[in-house]
Order: sequence, then structure tokens, then C-alpha cells
Amino acid sequence: MANKLLLCISVNGATAARWKRGRLHDCEVFTNDDAGIAAFREFAAGSRGAPAFIIVDAVEEDYRFETLPHATGSDRAQMVERKLRQYYRGSPYSAASLIGRDSSKRRDDRFLFSALTNPEVVTPWLNALVEAELPIGGVYLLPMVIPRLVSVLENKSDNLLLVAAHPAGLRLTFFREGAFRLSRLSRVDAAAGAHGRALIDEISNTRLYLHALRAATLDEPVTVVLLDHADRLEAITRAIGEDNPGLSCTRLGRNDIAARLKLDPALIGISPATIYLHLLGAKSPGSNLASPATTATYRRYQARRQLFAASAIAASIGVVVSGFNLSQQLAVRSSTEETARRTAQVNAEYQAATRQFPAAPTTADNLKKATELAQQLRTSATTPERFFGIVGRALAPSPEITLVELGWQHRAAEFEPGAAATGTAPAGRAAESVVAGPRKQSGLVAGQVRDFKGDFRRAIAAINALAERLRNDPAVDSVRIVQLPLNVSSTLSLSGNTSDNPAQAGNADFKLVLVLKQPS
Amino acid sequence: MKTEELNALRGPLLLLVLVIAAAAGAIYYTQLLHQQAQTALVRQQNQLREAQTRVQRSGDEKSIIIQYVDQYRQLQQSGFIGDEQRINWLDALRIANERTDLFGVNYEIGVQQAYAYAASLNPGQIALRQSVMKLDFRLLHELDLLRFLDALRAQSTGLFHLDQCLLRRTELSGAIRYQPNISAKCELAWITATPAAAPGGGRP
Repeated sequence: MANKLLLCISVNGATAARWKRGRLHDCEVFTNDDAGIAAFREFAAGSRGAPAFIIVDAVEEDYRFETLPHATGSDRAQMVERKLRQYYRGSPYSAASLIGRDSSKRRDDRFLFSALTNPEVVTPWLNALVEAELPIGGVYLLPMVIPRLVSVLENKSDNLLLVAAHPAGLRLTFFREGAFRLSRLSRVDAAAGAHGRALIDEISNTRLYLHALRAATLDEPVTVVLLDHADRLEAITRAIGEDNPGLSCTRLGRNDIAARLKLDPALIGISPATIYLHLLGAKSPGSNLASPATTATYRRYQARRQLFAASAIAASIGVVVSGFNLSQQLAVRSSTEETARRTAQVNAEYQAATRQFPAAPTTADNLKKATELAQQLRTSATTPERFFGIVGRALAPSPEITLVELGWQHRAAEFEPGAAATGTAPAGRAAESVVAGPRKQSGLVAGQVRDFKGDFRRAIAAINALAERLRNDPAVDSVRIVQLPLNVSSTLSLSGNTSDNPAQAGNADFKLVLVLKQPS
Repeated sequence: MKTEELNALRGPLLLLVLVIAAAAGAIYYTQLLHQQAQTALVRQQNQLREAQTRVQRSGDEKSIIIQYVDQYRQLQQSGFIGDEQRINWLDALRIANERTDLFGVNYEIGVQQAYAYAASLNPGQIALRQSVMKLDFRLLHELDLLRFLDALRAQSTGLFHLDQCLLRRTELSGAIRYQPNISAKCELAWITATPAAAPGGGRP
């Protein structure tokens, strides 16, 4: 919890304390004179860097409950600002806090407007803090911290009047159904208030005032709680109860208060203001009277702290996640080393086993694979013998046909007439690079129909008959005629001379490409 | 936000940026280390599995060695496994020519390269390579080609595949006895195999 400097100001002086680790420390009381303020300045210098929070216990305070049409955002802010200017034009210390919604049909917003109407009460102390370069976190009216005290008291009474004798006078604060309604400081002598009739009178006056305000009628029962920080009001408590049947009066002594607030009773002995400083240190109330200009340094202080906190969070995340990653990495490395050890052991076992093996030029896998590959290559090796046989059988019935050229290949691609690698491709370059797909036998049959005497019809019939015999061979997959003695295609021009001597017409050349089936 | 306020917050802002950068860097770096460690672990686990498989198969391995080692050595001697034996090929070519009474064979051997049909054989750890030999010779009859190829294969000087042949009749007018009348041009691939180095734990 952040360190703070806490200050309770009254017309008589001020009580200051340091808030460290959730507790009050170094509580001191300063008189409202030059010496007291100088002493406070020194005290404040000892808290350099910590923000200061101030509560004011003064008669010059004002509270107004106001209902405004429901609005949000800047509309609400402007409306509230106008009201503050209207009510407290002369005071720089004013605030408004939203306390709920009205139960009427319009559901208007209910605000508590509060102000310190005499800023001079605060000014010298505030100046001392500014000189000590302490950021001002907030200025509050003392009753604004009392609701927390009520919740600590756990008093369920609908009408609760909390009475405390302060050095500045009697502070009477009224709560209706747990909600703050009124607080007033009556300037009576504290000693007289503690022992005399004045305290009873002020309670009666307050009841009349509440009745006038219609906050609580005189018939309604009211619970009065006396904060007896000096343990001197026991007799008065009894007297109030006896004199006013409508009042239920209880007393909280110093030790009771200290026990409920978990506060050192000795601190209450220094000043009753420590009760409120403790409440202020634990949690700042909502109605901050200080203007934005007054709290500008504090906002910077908060922004710096938030940035430092963000840095700390980022660093923590970095450290935690990096640490987790590193621990994971170490665990994985440990597993890797263990696996490597096991691998080495298994390899050693394998080495031991291989010593029993017969000597071999390579691994067993390579031995087997190389042998199998050789067998596969031998099996797949082929010669043109089958191709020659097929062509020979097909040519046998056609003595007029003479072979001129016979091409054969065993490749993935079909034989291409005129593009045979043999004789044209340089030896340094393979006819095929890496190929996929099975190889097949294909080849070229180029021949002539001899002595055809210009009878193209007969020559072409002989060639077609040869092609048909080849097609009918069960080992042949396909036959393609790529050249005939005469091209009668309608897509080409055709020319010649019928007076040519057919006897001198020469031979009719043709070419066939055939592809063999894969041997089963 | 006013300049004065910005100046007041410059230090903490700078610190925040530095801390975020450092944290992000640290997280990234440690994550990288973790990933690298994870990858190393997976690699090591694979090695362990392989080693365990080798041990489990060591009995089979022994019987495989016994079964195949002799055939393997024969293939080495024939020139199929290991470096090319080009002199042996030329000797075989010469002998085949003599035995089939051909009229001489012109040859041209290309540079060695990857075997074109290796993928279809699934050679595993063995690299198959080929050297294309072009032959140019003359024949009396088509069947002389088959006799020549049989004679070449009979030399057992490695493995070859005949890829292509083109026979062309050079004389159509009539036969003069013992005069070559067919020119032949063939392409064959001499194939060699090179086993990869044995992995760790293997016995050469």
C-alpha cells in the first residue's frame, strides 16, 4: 500500500500522520500559528514524494441534497458544474457526488453537493504542503469519511446520530437508513461539551433541526452513539438515556473505537482526529473538494505510479513466461540427453550384435537391395528380338514389300520417325533425363512396295494389309501409318503427270510406327 | 496532455517501453530455445527408434548378409556395383565383335549421369547411375544384332539396357556374299550401383 501524508485541519490546528503499510505512524499535532505551520512544513518535508490527503473539520461547511434530471457524460458534468457555481461561487473547495437515483417516475439523479465555504482554514497548510513539493491527492470534509466508521460500528438503527467531541467543537452527524444526511460542528468548549449540559443541548438542537429539515421527526426513535475518545462520557450517556425516552444512547470508549478500527489506542490519545485520519488513509472518500489545478501534481504522480506498475507487471510477465519457457527447455533438454544415452546404449547393443555377423562390404539392407536391383534390371532388359519376329511374321505374306529401315526403342515414349537419337544426339547427352512411367517397346517399319508400276491403289492396299496384319498380332498395341506413297488427304494439294511411264515410276515408300504391348 | 505532464512522464514511459521490449525479447528468445530443444528431442527420439528397430532386426540382418553377400560380391566383380569399368566394357565389345564375326564396332561413351528409370525401381539408399554408349556397326543380317547383344551380355562385365536401335539397308540391288548390307546404330545404357554410406551403427 502506498505511503501517504494525512492531515486533519481545524481552526485550532492540524493533526498530521504518515500512512505506511496500512497503518498510521508519526502522528503529530500542530497549532494554527506560524510556529505550528513551520513545524508542519518540516514534518511534511519528511514525506517528500508521498501524496497528501486532507480532511477539514470546520464550521464553515455546507451540504445540499439536490435532484437533477438524469444525464450522463459531459451533459451531467456541465449540469453539476453549473450547480456548483450557483451554490458556491466564492469557494474553490466544492464537490458533488452522485448518491443514487430518485424513486420517482423520472428516476432523476440525486446528488450531494458539499463545500468548504471558508478556504482560509486550509490555505496555510496547503501552502506548506506545496512548498514541501507533496502532491495533493484530495481535500475532503471530515464527515465524508464518517460513513465508513458507521459501517464499522455495525449499528442497524434507521436513525443514527453520531456525536464526537473534537478540539474544534462537537461534531454531530446524522445517518438515515445508513445514508449520510447531515453533519454539523457546534463550537462549544470541548471540556464543557464533555462534562456539561451543552452536549445534551446540542443533541436536542440537532433533533429539532432534523425535524425542521424533515429528515427525522421528533417522534421517531433515534440512536445516539457517543464517540468517547477520552473515556469521560459514561455518566452523560446514562443521563441522556434517562432524560430522553425517545433516544437510545450508547457510548464507544477509546479502546472500543481502537479495537473496531484496529487502531493503536495511544494514537487516539494524541488526538481524536487520528480516528478520521485512519479512515481517510484506508480509503479516500468520493467528494474531493480540491480543484483539478490543486490535484494536477497528484494526477502526474498517479500516472507515473501506473506506468511504473505497468512496467513491473510487464517485467513480471516477462520473467514468469521466460522462466516457464526456460524450465520447459531444461526439461526437454534433459529428456533429449536421456534419449541420447539410451540411443548410445542401443547402438552399442547393435554393434555387439553385428560382431557376430559375417564380414560384408555394406549393410544388410544394401546387400539385399543391390542384389534385388540387379535382378530387376536383368529381368527388365530386353532386345528387339520380339519386335523383329512380329515384323517378320507380318511381312511374310507380302513378298512385294521390302524393308528399308527398321527402328526399335525401349523407352517410356513412342518411337518418333526422324527424331531417333541414334546418330544425331551427341554421346555426352542422354536421350532421356529422369523419367517416370513404364517403358514400352515401339519401333519404325520403313519399306517399299517394289515394282508397283504407278498403281498407287494396289501399293496402298498392300501397305494397309501389312498394317492390318500387324494390328491383328496379339503382341501389338497400336499401329500408325506415318507415310504412304501418295497422300490423298483433302487438306493438301496433289500434283503429278499421268503420261509418266508407270514402268519407270520406281518404288512406293511407306513408314509405319507400331507399339508393342507390355509382356504379361 | 500538456507538455509539462508529458515531460514528467517521459522517464516512466521510456522505462515501460524498454521493459516491454525486454520482456517480449526474453519471451521470444526463450520460446525459440524451447522450440529448438523440442526439435532436438524429436530428432533424438527418431534416432532412438531407428536404433531400436535395427537391434530388433539384427537377427534378420544376419541371415540377409549370409543370403546375399556372395551375390553382392559377384555383382561387385562384374562391375555393376562400384565404379564404372569402362575398359572391361570395351574388352567385352571387342570380344563380342570377334565372336559374332562383325565388321568392327564404332563406339562412343557419354558422361555418367543418374539412371533415367531409377525411380520406378525404388532403389532406396542405392544410387543408380548410367553411361550411355552409342554403337555404330554393320551387319549381314538383322539377326546378327541379336547375336552380338547376346555375346556382349555373356561377357558379364556389368549390366546394360538396350534403349534403341536403328537398322538401315544399305544395298537393295542384290546380295553379294559376305558384304555387309545393313548399317546399325544402337544406344545402350551401362548401369552401375553405388550404395550409400552405412548409417551409424552399421557394419561396413
